[in-house]
Formats: sequence, C-alpha cells, structure tokens
Amino acid sequence: MKARKLLRTIPMKLYALLLIVVLFSFFSNDFGLVDIQKTAIILAAGIDKSEEGFMLTAQIAVPKGTDRSQGGTSSVDVTTTGVTVSDCVSSIFGETGWVPKLVFCDLIVLGEEAASEDVIGYLNYFLRSEYMNDSCKLAVCEGKAEALIASKSALADVSSIAILNLFSDAAAKSGKVLAKTLKDFAVDYYGVSKSSYLPYIRMMEQRGSSQTGNGGSGSSDAGGEEGEIRPEVVYSAETTALFADGKMAAVLPPDETFAYSLLKGNVESGIFTAQDGEKPVTLSVLSNSGSIALDMKGAPKVKLKIGVIARLCCRGTTAPMEDVSNDNVPEAVLENAEELLKENTRKLWQTAKESGCDLFELKKALYRSSPKKYDEWKEFLLDKAEPEIVTDVRSSK
Amino acid sequence: MNKVSVRQLYFFLACIAPVGKLVVMPVRLSAKAGNDLWIPTLLLYLLQAAAVFCVLLLGKRRKSLYELLCERIGSVCAKIVHLLIVCFLLFCALIPLLEQKLFVQAVFYDTLPSIVAFAPFFLFSAYLCSKPLGSEGRAFDLLAPISVVGLVGVLLLSVSNADYGAVLPLFASGAKGIFGAVAGACSWFFDPVLLLLFLGKFEYGKGTAYKGALFYLAGGAAVIFFLITFYGIFEGTAINQLFAFTKTSKYYSAITVLGRVDYLFIFALSLVMTFYTALPLHCAVESCLQAFGRKKYLPTILSVGFNLIFLIFDGLLDYHFGDVLGVVGKLFWIFPLFTLLLPPLLLPSRRSHEGA
Amino acid sequence: MKICGSLKKDVEAFKKVLPAEDILTFDFVSEKGLSFTAIFADPITDKELLGEQVIRPLLHYEGKACAQDVGEKITSPEKRTETDLTKLAEEVLAGNPVLFFEGMDEGIIVGTKKVFVRAIAEPTTDVALKGPREGFIEDIKINTSLVRRRLKSPDLRIEFLKVGRRSQTYVALCYLAGISLENVVKEARQKLKEIDIDIVPDSSYLTHFLSSRPYSLLKQIGTTEKPDIFCAKIAEGRVGILVDGSPIALTAPYLIVEDFQSSEDYFVPSYRATFTRLLRLLALIVAIYLPAFYIAGQLFKLQLFPVRLLLTIAGSIRDIPFSPSLEMLLVLFVLEVLNEASIRMPKYVGMALSVVGALVLGETAVSAGFVSTPAIIIIAFSGIGLYAVPNLLEQTSVLRLVMLLAAGSVGTYGIILATGFVLFYLVTAENFSTPVLAPFSPLIPKDLRDSLVKYDVGSLRTRPASIGSKNKRRLRHE
Repeated sequence: MKARKLLRTIPMKLYALLLIVVLFSFFSNDFGLVDIQKTAIILAAGIDKSEEGFMLTAQIAVPKGTDRSQGGTSSVDVTTTGVTVSDCVSSIFGETGWVPKLVFCDLIVLGEEAASEDVIGYLNYFLRSEYMNDSCKLAVCEGKAEALIASKSALADVSSIAILNLFSDAAAKSGKVLAKTLKDFAVDYYGVSKSSYLPYIRMMEQRGSSQTGNGGSGSSDAGGEEGEIRPEVVYSAETTALFADGKMAAVLPPDETFAYSLLKGNVESGIFTAQDGEKPVTLSVLSNSGSIALDMKGAPKVKLKIGVIARLCCRGTTAPMEDVSNDNVPEAVLENAEELLKENTRKLWQTAKESGCDLFELKKALYRSSPKKYDEWKEFLLDKAEPEIVTDVRSSK
Repeated sequence: MNKVSVRQLYFFLACIAPVGKLVVMPVRLSAKAGNDLWIPTLLLYLLQAAAVFCVLLLGKRRKSLYELLCERIGSVCAKIVHLLIVCFLLFCALIPLLEQKLFVQAVFYDTLPSIVAFAPFFLFSAYLCSKPLGSEGRAFDLLAPISVVGLVGVLLLSVSNADYGAVLPLFASGAKGIFGAVAGACSWFFDPVLLLLFLGKFEYGKGTAYKGALFYLAGGAAVIFFLITFYGIFEGTAINQLFAFTKTSKYYSAITVLGRVDYLFIFALSLVMTFYTALPLHCAVESCLQAFGRKKYLPTILSVGFNLIFLIFDGLLDYHFGDVLGVVGKLFWIFPLFTLLLPPLLLPSRRSHEGA
Repeated sequence: MKICGSLKKDVEAFKKVLPAEDILTFDFVSEKGLSFTAIFADPITDKELLGEQVIRPLLHYEGKACAQDVGEKITSPEKRTETDLTKLAEEVLAGNPVLFFEGMDEGIIVGTKKVFVRAIAEPTTDVALKGPREGFIEDIKINTSLVRRRLKSPDLRIEFLKVGRRSQTYVALCYLAGISLENVVKEARQKLKEIDIDIVPDSSYLTHFLSSRPYSLLKQIGTTEKPDIFCAKIAEGRVGILVDGSPIALTAPYLIVEDFQSSEDYFVPSYRATFTRLLRLLALIVAIYLPAFYIAGQLFKLQLFPVRLLLTIAGSIRDIPFSPSLEMLLVLFVLEVLNEASIRMPKYVGMALSVVGALVLGETAVSAGFVSTPAIIIIAFSGIGLYAVPNLLEQTSVLRLVMLLAAGSVGTYGIILATGFVLFYLVTAENFSTPVLAPFSPLIPKDLRDSLVKYDVGSLRTRPASIGSKNKRRLRHE
C-alpha cells in the first residue's frame, strides 16, 4: 500500500525536481554560453603573413548604446599574431577579454604576401570551424590586409561595410567586380581545376580628406595613437587575382575582369567604351550571354562566346539633338565593340594560360564529360587548347 | 490511442523517415562515393522499400509482431527474437542520437556548449516512450506537414546555389566506392524494423503495401534530390559539411539582407528529427511490452531505463562519434539482417508453410 | 417526512426542517373558513405575485379541502403538489412558496419565485462586430429559453439535474437527439451525476469533473457566453451544459481549433474568416515564442538576429544590470502584474493604472537602465498577441513562460524540445473519446474546411467528423 502511494507521488516529485533544475539553469545561465555582452562580433578579418607566422586583423563591431542619434556602426580593429590563425583568434580573447565570434564575419581579406603562398594554409581555420560563416566574401588586397581593414573609409563608418558594398549583387551585375565566397573558393581549390579567382582590392586616398583616429563614430584602431592623421580612402576591386594551386598567379586588369564577367553571362547593367572612329562611345549592356565550350574532337578547342545587347549610353563628343534621342548603336561601333571584347577575351585567355589558372574550368568540364580523357589531358589541357573567340554585340531596338 | 491509420504510416515513410538521413549521412556518402552519393542511396532505398512492402503486407494478418512470431516459432523463441530486436533498435538509436547531439551543439549554439545541454532530450524521449506507440501516429499527422515545409524551404533556398553538373561523371567512384557507401550508410536505414512494431495497430486496406513502398520511395526521392543539391553546392568540400541540411540554404542571396531566415526551416526539420531520433527507443519499449505484457508501470520503467542508458552513453561517448561510426561501420551487416531478412521471413503464413 | 394533514402539525414540522429566520409563514382563512398557511423564503419570493395569484383567489375559495380544487383556484401557471416535507423545503429555498391547508396531506408548490436577473447583454469576453450580440446571463431558465429560441426543434433535449449537495444548483444538459452521439450524452450525464461537491458557484467548477485529465494544463471543455455559438456547437453534435448562476456555458467534446474560431467568422466572407483565423494563430505563435527566441538568440545563438539588429540590441542592453533572461522574466512579471491589477481594479483606477504601467513604469525603467527597450517592445507585443485568442489566455500565458524558461536554460534547442513536449502532450490528449487536436491530429481532411481555414457555408455540407454525430448531413445539396 505504502509502495503504491509512493509510486503515485513520484510523478509530482519528478516534476518538482525538474522545475528546480530548469529554474537553476535558467538563473545560472551556465550551459557554457557566451552571451552577447561578452562577445566580440567580428565583422571582417584581414590575414597577413608575419614573422611569427600569421597576423590577423579583426574588425570588431562596437554597440553604440541607447543613444541612436549618431547612427551607423562603430568598430575597433584588433591585430594579433600567432603561429596559426586559430592562435591569432584566441589571442583576441587574451587581448580584449571578449570572446571572438566569427559567425557574423562577412569579409576575409588576404594580404598580398599571404596570397603569394598557398592560401588554404591561411583559410584552413575558417573552413574547419562549425562556428564560422563560410558564405563570407573572400578577397585579396594590395599590400597588407591589416592596413586595408584599419583604413578609414570615406563612404562608410566601417571599412568592411564599404568594401562589402563592392561585392553587392548590383556590383556583380555591372561586370566590374568578380566576387567570391569562402565556400566557393574552397570548392574551386578542392575541385579538379584547382584554380580560382578573388577580387583584388586597392585603396585610393581621397584627396583633401583626412580625419583624426579614434574620433567620430567611425572605426578606430586599438593600437592607433590619439590624434594620428588617417586619410580617408575609397576602395576599388575592378582587378581580379587569379589563383592556381592556391597561390596568386596573376592579376587581371579591369578590361579582362569585365570580359570574364561577360563570358560568365553575369552582366546586366555594365558599361564599356568602344570607338566610333576616333571618338569614344560608351555602350550600356542591357543583356548578356556567355558560354565556354570545350571540344575534344582532335586537338582540344575552346569556344568562348560572348553575346551582348547594348544601347548607346554616352558619346565623348558634342552631338545634335537627333543623336541624343537615339539609343541605337551604329554598325561601326558595334563592330568595334566586338573587336574590343574579342581582344580583351584573348588577353584574358593568355593571362589565364600563362598563370596556369584554369579560369575557364576546362578541366572540370572535361572531367565531367570524360574522366578518361581528363586523365589523358589534365597536364596539358591549358597549354594545348586553342581558343575560338566569338563576340556578338547587337544594338537594342 | 494505440491504433494508427495507414495514412499516418505513409506520412512517416514519406516525410519523417527521410529527415534522419539528412544530417551526417550525406557526408558519409560523399566521403565514400563522392559525386555518386545518390547511387548507393537509391540502392538502399530500393531494398528498403521492398522490406517496407513486406512489413505492410504482414499487416494483412492483423496481428502484432509478437503474435506473428509466436505463430511461427513459439512464444519462447518469439521472446528471444523480441529481445534481439530490442538490442538491434538500441543499436540503431546510437547513431541518430549521437549525430543529433553533435548537431545540437553545432547548430543551436555559437560556441561549444556544456555536454549537459543535450541531456533534456532524454527527458523528452522518456516521456515519449512512456506513451503507447500508437500515439506516434497522431504525432506523424502533425510532423508530416512540418517536415514538408522544412524540407521544401531548405531546398528552395538551396537549389539556386547548386551546380547539378557536379554529379557527373556517373560511377566515377567505381563499384568499390558505391558499395562501400552502401555499407557505410546502412546504419541510417532501419525503418522497416520500426514499422514491424506497428503491426497489429493498423487496418490493412487495399494496396496498403504497394502504397507504403511508393511513399517510402517518394521520401527517398526527396533525400536523393537533397543529396544531389548538397553535392552540387559543396562538391569536393562536401566531406567537411556535417549536419548537411543546415548548410545548404545559407548561401541564398536574400539571407545577407534578411538574416538567417533559413533557420525557420532548419528548426522545423530539427523538431521532426527530435521525434525521429526517439522513435527507435520508443519501438524498443514497445517490443519489450509486446513480449512481456503491458504491466502497469513497465512502460515508464523501460522508457526511463533505456533513456538513462543512453544518457550515460551520451556522456561517455562525448568526443568519440568517429569511433562509434567506425564500430557501427564494421557491424554494418547487422542492419540488412534485421531490416531486409526479417520481414520476408515472416511473410509465409503458417498454413502455407505447413503445406510446403 | 410526510405531511400528516393537520395544518398546525405540518407547519411545525416544516419549521423544524427549515428553521431559518427568513422563512416566513402567512396564515389566512377563506370565506368558508378553510385555514391556509403559505410558507415562503422572504428575500427570494415574489410576494406580490403570491398575493395576486394565490392568496387573493383563495380568500374567496368556497370548495372543499381538496388539492385539485384549490390548485384550480390558484392562477399561477406553475404549480404542483408534493407530500415530502424535505422536498417542499427545497422548493421554498428555491424561492417557490408552499401552501398548506387544513385536512390536506399534500402541499402545493407555487412558482412565484422572485427572479433577480440582469438584462441580456453582449458578453464582454466575446465581442463580435457582426452577428448576434446576446449573451447568457446567470438565470438558467432565461438561458435555456435563449437556446430554445434558436433551436425550435423537438429534438432539442434539455435535461435538468441538480448538482451540489448544499447549493442544489440546477444544471441543464442540452443536446440534439438524433445528432449527438449517445455515448457522449451518456458520458456527460454520468459525469454530472457522479459529481459530489457541496456547492457549485459557477460552471467552471464542473469542468474539473468533466475533464478526463483534470490537472492538465490544457483546456478540455469548451466555454462560451453566447447562445448562438452554444447552439451552433450543439448542432454539430456536441452536448452543452448550462449551470444556474453562471453565464458561461460549457460544451463538450472540446477541440482546440474551436478557440481559433469566432462567431464573426461565420458572418463575414470565407476568405476574410480564413485570414483572421490564420492571423490569430500567427499572433499566438509569435506571442508565445518571441520572448523565448529573443532570449535564446542573445544567450546562445546570436545568428538568430541579422547583424544590424544584433548590434542595436547589444547597444540597448549594454548597461542593463540583469542577465537577458532575468531581464525578460522581470518585464514579463511586471506585465502580468499590470494585467492582473488592471482587470481587478475599479474602471476609473484601472485607466490610471494602465497609463502608469505603460508610460511611467516602462519609460522610467528604460531611462533608469533597469530594462532595455527591446525587452519592453517584445513583451508588449507578446502581451497583445495572446489576446488574439482570448479563450486560451490561461494556457498560452503559461506556455509562454515555459518557453521562456526553456530558452533561458537550454537555448533554442530547449524551445524545440519544449515544443515537442507540448505537441506530443496535445496529440495524446482526449476527452469524451475525442482527440483535442482534431482535425489536425488525427488528420480529418474534410473537417479542415472549418478549422484554421474557413470554407464558404455552402461547402460545409456535413457535420464535423472529429466530434462524431448520428446524423452527418448538415446541408441538403441539390
């Protein structure tokens, strides 16, 4: 009887115990959590080569408090060194007391020196971590990534936000920038082509504009000195770094970057300038199609085809009203545009070939269509393949 | 309450069973079969669908598994087989439990949490297991639309980032890769055994067995489509993408603006997965109850006991998921033994057996 | 104890059964010399009616001491005879005077009780912009008349039972014979008969006895204050229970989906009804989960917020002295207190209280840095959201707290597990052999037409199969 009574009361006792445990864990908040107050939210990371091994510059977002009158985002830049990237990341905790969190890191920039080595060594940490956002944009910069991250943007409070604007969808549609995410770069690197590309960022100082460090609502360098003059800069990513076997092998100039965008069929609102006789004429791309086809009958041939429908956007000369109101591209300009794109594509092919970068993913295409032929040709495909470039520029009606 | 409808079983086969195969299995398959990961899955699904067909056909006799076994081999042997099934189900539960634990640690937290963070699952599981197995049927009714919404949502956000050409060339991994992957993925295929415990709880209708097999294959088609999408997104790096279904949707372009809206779908699938993970334990309890009778406190005692064992396992095997996968991988043959052999063996009725 | 026929002895005996001081007697003699004694409960008997319909006619009574003749002289339409003193005493306590007269071994009960009723008004808890505005009141007779007026069917059965050892409260079990399942009616009748309680102040007392899981967090018996809803539910095959003294009627079997339906849904176009039902569900989900996800996001999974929002939140909570979970619990506590106080407070003070609560407390708490603005916004929204389905308020406010505790302890996974618990609990819950989560679990596709979606009335040809009914056809279709 007693045992039965005991059994009957067990559920209630268990509920009470459960409630106590839940309340305890609720008030102690101790499941190994690191809440928002103790967290360094890293918005961007720059990685350079250092004497010790690696140097990481983390741009950490700083909440502005309840006063929202200033608006925007503030940040501090923290630079650490270590023998591995992981070592550098953990040093952030040592130096700031904040637990670094990379889930919001939307940009990783590799310094030029770091990019000259196999960059996977620099990116290894980010690829391994389950707590990393691998959809972040990846880029290479001229000089040191630290300088880029710590620079003062003329256009945004925080440098990384200004840089990320370069990689927006709108920028990609212009064909001027070739953005890449960390995941996509890793897929390329571990794919059969072992080649990829990354946007190559340059800083350009804005003439006549400068600001003292730590001032205003903008970013501040943790190591910067009070009152140090920091010039405001703008960023450009119209050039593209080519990678072969993980190393930066060449840099595509803007024309070739644009040609590659056209080949990919990505351009929807870009412009390019052709010649009408001696006079420059700018055409606006309304729609674009591009294809890369590998033909392995006999000697390998690659057909690179660019199709563009454009309208006349601007002439560099005076023109009568009838001409201003006419968007049609004259035949001569179309021919010149086709030639121009053909030439840029040829240069692009040459740059890729010389750098050993399988930019056109020929190996991947061959592997997918015929693994046998891939095994046969994988070493010489880039050298032996002959390009056939077809450009077709039409005027919008 | 202890009855299920065949529709609920179809929901289980088509919508709930696939969810358990989207966590670690895609990684395991891509490690063994690379871009051919869908081929072993198709093979396994075809075999399992045949087993599902057999199990549902057994439902025609309106008898529980224990009654069927008693009819064929007597009550003592039936009890022994039931005990073996219990052991098998507990073995089956190991991988889903551990993978869910890792999944929880990685997906629900920003930093590695304490190991006790997963412990509340066993509380939930114990509660679930203490109820009649038939009540799972009603849960399937609710979980099926949640699962469909979750899976469709994840796939919709993923397809635009997938290069479906990545599955080419076909059979690149060769027979060794494909059959290696079949063996490696066996541990995720035990659904027919779970169905066995539902025998006697549903009314067999016209074509139930065919329909059940087709629903299972429909679920398989969803899994295969997911696998192809998964490989199309990650290609060579797929082997590094544990917790596959949480990874594919985050590259959707609008997510940079809206934040991780894909979590809505991931959480929906996680809820379904939570039920699916507890199901082998629930079936193990049911198996014991069928063999030894439904005594008053037995379901509670068994459910608490089984979950306590796994809670201890969970603590002991905290950082040894790879080892567990290795052991289960070596014992992969146990899975077809129970899932593919047992149902057809039960099929011939006593009369026809005697006649033969 | 029976009446003996001697007026003096009978009145004395009655006084012994009912010795209360407010039980008065009035002796009078007819013109022919027959002695009468009327016994009545002073405050609850309509003395004017007693005088008009009983005493005045009997003063001129010239017949013999015969109950039938005397009864014919009484002009009240409600009268009957009874020999048992205890039963007569019960009637007196109910307000009906009892008439004794010399030489007669029966007492006459006359239905002239004083009815204290408020006017039929629109219930404040169930307001509809369109549709009937009548609400039940505390008088069971008026309530049954409201039901009768809407269901002029001979099949409408109203069974009166008395519940409560001391209160002897009238309870009316209403159902449509030929539609309601017999087992449901039988179970309801049985459960009502088995209730052994001293008093029944309100219908809510009965829900405990009618529920199969009395301690459940979940509601198991439907409630309504509107006769139109009550009749509609009865017409679907449910049984309805009216309790004297309570304006809240009970219906069983209960389905959760009922509380997402409003009477107004049936008087607006179906697309609008569907939209509002889905809106109610969404509001409820957001109200329950929003505080929990906010906490889980801050403590365990920052990625639940877009980065800009995260930085805004981080800025807001920077100087808050409490942990996020404690802060949220505190704000929730304040909301519940305000809620409770504003309901109980007199109206004129309640208004001031809400102003104090909303403006002064909220604003100053934020300025003083006790709590953050997002926490107040989230709890405020959650507080409003719960009122989208007011009938589930008690349950959903507890669920919100459960989710909050789960989120604060284990994070998002805690929320998912708690959701799993609640879902499984709901799917296993049954009352009157009906699953409360029907028609979703078990799935009854036909019944989905009037669940969270609402089809046009022309499409609702059959009664809900979730409840079960003897007569399935609702709409005769050409």
